[in-house]
Amino acid sequence: MGKLTASIKKEFLLLVSDKVGLLLMYLMPIFLVFVITIVQDSTFKLVNENNIEILVVNKDNGELGDSLISILQKTGSFRITENKNLGKEKIKATLVADNQLLAFEIPRGFTSELKEKARGISRGMLEELGVIDADTASKTERHSSPLNMYYDPILQENFRHSIANSIYSLLGSLENRLMIESLYEEMGYDEVPSNLEHELSSNRIEIKQIAASNSSNETIPNSTQHNVPAWSIFAMFFMVISLGGNIVKERLSGSFVRLQTIPSSFSLVLLSKVFIYLIVALSQLAIIFILGKFLFPLLALPSLSMPSNLLGLLVISILSAFSAISFAMLVGTYSKTVEQASGFGAITIIIFAAIGGIWVPSFVMPAYLQTIGKISPLHWCLEGYYTLFLRDGEWNLLLPSVIFLILFIFACQMLIYLKLKIQNFI
Amino acid sequence: MKSVIEINNISKTYKGATEKSLNNISFSIHKGDKIGIFGPNGAGKTTLISIICGIINSSEGEILYHKNGESINLKSMLYSIGYVPQDFSFYEELTPYQNLMYFGSLYAIPKDELQTKIEKLLSVLGLKHVIHKKITKFSGGMKRRVNLAIGIINDPDLLFLDEPTVGVDVQSKNAIIAYLEELNKNGTTIVYTSHHLNEAQEFCNRIALIDQGNLIDCDSLENLLSKNHETSLERLFLKLTGIEYRD
Repeated sequence: MGKLTASIKKEFLLLVSDKVGLLLMYLMPIFLVFVITIVQDSTFKLVNENNIEILVVNKDNGELGDSLISILQKTGSFRITENKNLGKEKIKATLVADNQLLAFEIPRGFTSELKEKARGISRGMLEELGVIDADTASKTERHSSPLNMYYDPILQENFRHSIANSIYSLLGSLENRLMIESLYEEMGYDEVPSNLEHELSSNRIEIKQIAASNSSNETIPNSTQHNVPAWSIFAMFFMVISLGGNIVKERLSGSFVRLQTIPSSFSLVLLSKVFIYLIVALSQLAIIFILGKFLFPLLALPSLSMPSNLLGLLVISILSAFSAISFAMLVGTYSKTVEQASGFGAITIIIFAAIGGIWVPSFVMPAYLQTIGKISPLHWCLEGYYTLFLRDGEWNLLLPSVIFLILFIFACQMLIYLKLKIQNFI
Repeated sequence: MKSVIEINNISKTYKGATEKSLNNISFSIHKGDKIGIFGPNGAGKTTLISIICGIINSSEGEILYHKNGESINLKSMLYSIGYVPQDFSFYEELTPYQNLMYFGSLYAIPKDELQTKIEKLLSVLGLKHVIHKKITKFSGGMKRRVNLAIGIINDPDLLFLDEPTVGVDVQSKNAIIAYLEELNKNGTTIVYTSHHLNEAQEFCNRIALIDQGNLIDCDSLENLLSKNHETSLERLFLKLTGIEYRD
């Protein structure tokens, strides 16, 4: 048996001897990808697919409260439960008791206040245009009672804001309709022409969403396209616990020392580790990608669309795996104990993941954090995959990721070499 | 007598240390020797063995290696050296067979020859019945014997043993010493450190006494005892190194 083959076999045996660690290395990322994708997908569905349950307490004694409820229902985004007889405290208690997320209270006098406001604005407009005589009453500032929104404190702020904005938008169209009606009324018409009313209610300008990509391939970005590569990268880098610990353990056990008294190159030992863990990392990726492609659709999740640039995918995957391995080896080489390697390695990867855009996209971070995030190798791996999966990237778009990852691997390997040289292992 | 290793004026000062761990040590190791390096804790025994085996570099001095009457470099000498460190330097997650296959392959021993060797070696050391069992569950004595087996898998001409019998029961100690005697009879030169002075007195034909990094003396046991008018190695040890704690 050749020396390299023997070293590779030894690494393989060490790897498979730790069955729990091995299982974690493969199951943890699969579990993460599934959970995060399902959670994000269900959030998306919650917002867009008629799943938000709202308790509406309509205290209005006019018809506009009912109109607002009717508009809310027509949007198809909300499931409405009505109850007219609840006070503030009761509403809060009902939310807690029924485990509901949101409640709206339409105030008493909502119709009259809204109509008064619309009339005032339309009269003001007609006065400005000189169609009718000035009237001091139309210039009086009117106070409108607020629409109270009660929410479960666990509801995230951005989600709350997006619902409030939807309601603002619906209220806006209701107010516009009232204003037009009021204008027609002021001008002596009985009602708004039906075609105009139809234009107002249905002929809104559409917002067409187009992904910025150089390709004709219209892959629609979805939670799978984001999560599968992101969490696969996270999993690869998390091998720091296994590989980093393996190196420290080997060094502390004296096996490295024994190797110094054997006519064999130490680089051979490192090379065999790289080889085995490269296979682990690439197989992690392959398994997650296959599950994303074939299993996700069976669970009603979006399927993973593979990029057209398969060579690019291979290059980015190998560079990402090498980066993860180099980082793990670096941590293992410099750590004094297994606990130090695991603790430091895990925390560093979590920080790298956070600033690198694995958990939340980089663009939502403050500018300084986006700049700091560029030191994270996970950021460049992710950028590479985003370019491949979402922008159907060409080589020139992949180049920054390729260059950074090569530099990162080189820097790690140099630091490993220096440390091993100082310790007389090389 | 032909020397296989000549240690010439070796000194070692560790980085950041103010005092030398080894100070101008010189002696020779002869072919067929069973030489014991003794000294109190922290005397520099492990440092000296580590320098001879090339694990660490000396700060001053040189070591000359000889084989078949010719000078060779350390890299060539490594094929003829066996090293049994004080710590268990193997992979406890693996079996004795897997460990020996791995370390044996690094000496480029052909697979068939290696398999035969492993079976024979483990049989002699009383480990044949656990050849395919993970070492994690072994007793201290069994682990010591695995440690020894790995050190001699290449049939070394020169074997370095750093406390090979520490922490083992009498049976394991006897098995190890008996096997070392057999190796020596077959021509293996043995360099040995131990805290068991009685064991060393019976086993070694030459003694190198080190204290605080200095070589106090290096001679045959008989000569050392007669020069110092002592009857046992233990009494000689205390006379030459003192009774104060050293660590």
